[in-house]
Amino acid sequence: MLIAGRASGPALVLDEALSFWGGFDPANGEIIDVHHPQRGCRVGGSILFIPESRGSAGTPGGIAETLRNGSGPLAFVLGERDVNIGVGVLVANRLYDLEVPVLEIDRARMVEIENGARVTIDFAGELLIEGDD
Amino acid sequence: MLAGKSGRAARFAMETVLAAARIDCAERLIDISFAHIDACFYNGRAHLDFVNFMLEAGARLAVPAWTNNGLVSLNDLTLRDPSQSREMREAHELMLAYVRLGCKPVWTCAPYQLPGRPGLGEHIVGSESNAVSFYNSVVGARTNKYGDYLDVCAAITGRVPDSKLHRDENRAAGLLFDVSGLAPRILGSDLFYHLLGHFVGRRSGHRVPAILGLRESCNEDDLKAISAAASSSGAVPLFHAIGITPEAPTLEAAFRGEAVPDSIEVTSADLNLARAELGGDLATPLAAIALGTPHFSYTEFERLVELLADRPVAPGIDFYLTTSRHVFDQARASGWTDRLENAGVRIITDTCTYFSPVINNLQGKVMTNSAKWAYYAPGMLPVQAVIGSLRECVESAVRGSVVLDSENLA
Repeated sequence: MLIAGRASGPALVLDEALSFWGGFDPANGEIIDVHHPQRGCRVGGSILFIPESRGSAGTPGGIAETLRNGSGPLAFVLGERDVNIGVGVLVANRLYDLEVPVLEIDRARMVEIENGARVTIDFAGELLIEGDD
Repeated sequence: MLAGKSGRAARFAMETVLAAARIDCAERLIDISFAHIDACFYNGRAHLDFVNFMLEAGARLAVPAWTNNGLVSLNDLTLRDPSQSREMREAHELMLAYVRLGCKPVWTCAPYQLPGRPGLGEHIVGSESNAVSFYNSVVGARTNKYGDYLDVCAAITGRVPDSKLHRDENRAAGLLFDVSGLAPRILGSDLFYHLLGHFVGRRSGHRVPAILGLRESCNEDDLKAISAAASSSGAVPLFHAIGITPEAPTLEAAFRGEAVPDSIEVTSADLNLARAELGGDLATPLAAIALGTPHFSYTEFERLVELLADRPVAPGIDFYLTTSRHVFDQARASGWTDRLENAGVRIITDTCTYFSPVINNLQGKVMTNSAKWAYYAPGMLPVQAVIGSLRECVESAVRGSVVLDSENLA
């Protein structure tokens, strides 16, 4: 577990990497990258699965702002360790007294997760998916 | 250190640096000597909340920290006017907050053009992508591409995780671009370096590229162009130019003694394709010229003054040039800023023209000498870009329509 916390909500599994600066509108949580297959999708209230990170110095700010105004995900589950996402979440948790966890899981496991599946993350970092054994 | 007011900010900063170290799997922290701060560039209310938290908690900087571009020009508030929107007001407030935190207000994406830059092998914090690439590649300092907040936390603690490009083993080249087959007139053009950088960024993936065959006479403006272009079209925080940059006196040194695993011969067709990708549509009429992304250097000013030769910019063409206040003062002392402004060039400091919101309703066809500007601006502003050499930009500005030099890569 990269950042500790508990969360529960529907899975939103991104098909491709996303930059949270330029490719994302932190005012409403919408994916705006014209090259992203899930353009127009809003990440608010989801457990957000991101297969691969994409770097931009502005990513932590985009993350912190979307979490501040309530348009962001409840948790981040990453296929790759990503300092920018981790720092953005850490700062938002601290400034706004939130409990948004960040986890890393195997990418092979990530591709099996269905959009909309009910996901629960406990404080130990265990990921429980509805329908999983 | 853990007690009292200054302890609270320092503790939060250290917690953040340690979390980054854990995520990066770094085994230890190392000292830095300098930080270039990007968090002063506005990206929502959270940015302001962060710096205000740090100020109220009594944060002190452990190392010299210089500011990147802001969204607002403190020298000309009318460009993006703080009285006109909440965002611009907060963007302005954010910049002033970083001055209160103790940052040196240089407001530039090309801090390496200013006196007092770090030395070879020095560990620093870079954030803006072209500056990260220039510091690593041309200066030989060592930095990862630090994001917002971690840049500030590193400056407060004076420490960063010992990971990625801070470590020798991760600085070896993994891919060779060979330009030695290109004609001398191509290698001598300033546009070449922008197009090459764009191509290298596209093709490098996560590998460190090395470039073989650049002229020994290529200067820091040319290397700035490669840094900026390659980190726009791709993620290239470090490249080696064989025989030119400090960690690559030889091919063997660039690859740290390993065999060259993969190499690409760069052709004029590759460069023409790069040029087409960066705006080849010449049909619509020219509206503006945008120079200085990254910020214009003193030597670029010198060349522009020579090329323009006091001829007036054509009526109806907006000619923008962005630079740092430091370089502006140098150019003014040489009498160049007056001459350029008299010819119709608008010189802007502290910020850039490609950021949103757009300045002065800039729209339509904009010609630039910068691959970075041409890459980003059309996605952020209601503009189409066309790229040209500095001379082509100048001739187009004077003529009032796009003029390309057929001798030059086209």
